[in-house]
Amino acid sequence: MRPLRSYADPHLAGVCLGLVLLACFALTGQGLGASGAFASVASGVISNVSPETAAHSAYFRSYLQDGSPWTAWIVVEIVGVLIGAAVSAALAGRTRSMFVRAARPSAGKLFASVAGGILMGIGAALARGCTSGLALSGGAVLSVGAWIFMGTLFLAGFVAAPLVRRLWP
Amino acid sequence: MKWVRQLGISALALGLGAPFAGSSFRAPQRGLDLDSIARAIDQGSDHVSARQLAEWIRDRRPGLRVIDVRSPAEFRDDAIPTAENVPIDQLAKSHFAPGQTIVLYSQEGAHAGQAWVMLHSLGVTQAVFVPGGLADWREEVLHPSLPANASTAERAQIEALSHYFGGSPRIGVEQGGDMASATQTGQRPRRRGC
Amino acid sequence: MNDLLIAGGIGVAFGAALECAGLGDPPKLAGQFYLRDFTVLKVMLSAMLTAMLGAFWGGRLGLFDSAAFYVPDTYLLPQLVGGLIFGLGFVLSGLCPGTSCVALAGGRIEGAATMLGLLAGLLLVGLAFPAIESFYRATPYGPLTLQGLTGLPYGVVVALVTVIAISVLAWIAKREARP
Repeated sequence: MRPLRSYADPHLAGVCLGLVLLACFALTGQGLGASGAFASVASGVISNVSPETAAHSAYFRSYLQDGSPWTAWIVVEIVGVLIGAAVSAALAGRTRSMFVRAARPSAGKLFASVAGGILMGIGAALARGCTSGLALSGGAVLSVGAWIFMGTLFLAGFVAAPLVRRLWP
Repeated sequence: MKWVRQLGISALALGLGAPFAGSSFRAPQRGLDLDSIARAIDQGSDHVSARQLAEWIRDRRPGLRVIDVRSPAEFRDDAIPTAENVPIDQLAKSHFAPGQTIVLYSQEGAHAGQAWVMLHSLGVTQAVFVPGGLADWREEVLHPSLPANASTAERAQIEALSHYFGGSPRIGVEQGGDMASATQTGQRPRRRGC
Repeated sequence: MNDLLIAGGIGVAFGAALECAGLGDPPKLAGQFYLRDFTVLKVMLSAMLTAMLGAFWGGRLGLFDSAAFYVPDTYLLPQLVGGLIFGLGFVLSGLCPGTSCVALAGGRIEGAATMLGLLAGLLLVGLAFPAIESFYRATPYGPLTLQGLTGLPYGVVVALVTVIAISVLAWIAKREARP
């Protein structure tokens, strides 16, 4: 087994991320996003399974009215994220070592991941964005809501952290 | 880690220089794009009917902003629900995000049309206006006359929309002949934030 | 089509940047909340500073029109409550929506589990939407910015945010330099 390659310096990676965000703003007028892609896919699934349910909820409707939810801008962007991260991990030799550690995930940790995902889905829907779409992109253009979201996110995280200490030895 | 420190110092310098840079927004130099204005007018993509606007408001179309360009006094008197008041002289200072659909209206529609051209010259191309203004809103949405030759389903649709905004259709009354009812509607208490 | 090419390209760069920073690694992200690993704060603050300063100076120099950049709408109560719920989920799964994709791309099953949870959470909200719609639309303030809220000029707010962010980064560096 190869040793785990170290990551890039966080400050440098942050500056690169900021430049990507700036390019996104300059090219498209909007920032990066992630949770919107999940909302779009969820709307697509619902409209295929039960079109009446989708039509009944204004939340699903808002993702279905501008063309196919499967080829929405943000869904394509997230597919790009998957490709970019996979290539970067493979080129840097980080894929295998990460996979080995993930090969034996305990059931409890997987459950915590799913539960965390559900909570984040609800939180992101209410806040209209996640750490990338609202906190990062909105924070960079000094949106008040983005800073409120960021503040309460870290507050809840720090308060809850001691309670779930078992998950992160 | 020396370069991280340098990165921080340069960020600090850029940040502290910001207050002395003046406005960061490029001076408006776009001018009028006459071709695109002519095209929009030709294709009819410059306006939207009062009834269509009513459907958008009812369906809570995301990114919809209804802008009343009349004076604050007129706006207080009566306005389309969910509308915000941005008088003509404030229009150029307002911020419009690219994803929003801006719908402009005025009393009769002329000022809204002029506001549309103003916004276009500022590069805000996602705006439309209501040609008949608030008068159309009252006649087509709040108190529409149901066309005699319309089907039952069509009539029900128009009625439902009218009731949604707290109005009532004028059944069997020919359009334009009822001055009394028109002045009466002008005195109605406004109903906001449906 | 052109838009989607840009979307894919931006996505690839976004994913690569997150992966290089190590944000596909749940223990690393969760470590932030135990003050063991400051990668999350370092990356977020550096990225935000870069983008904010870039938007300000790029707009000032006329490279692009930063006035047209999309400012998310502020909804005070939903975003406050949403942030609390989101933070709780963040510390549980050690990933956020964007980084869950990075984790999966790096071969971590937790990434896929979090992505499934996200889909389920958003489906729940969509299904329950008629019931929570009034709260969802409560306390709207439109595209409110810090300079709009405080009445300070844009440049002054940029300077203040820069000073605060750099101070936090310097504090982290000092803390990590201690034996």
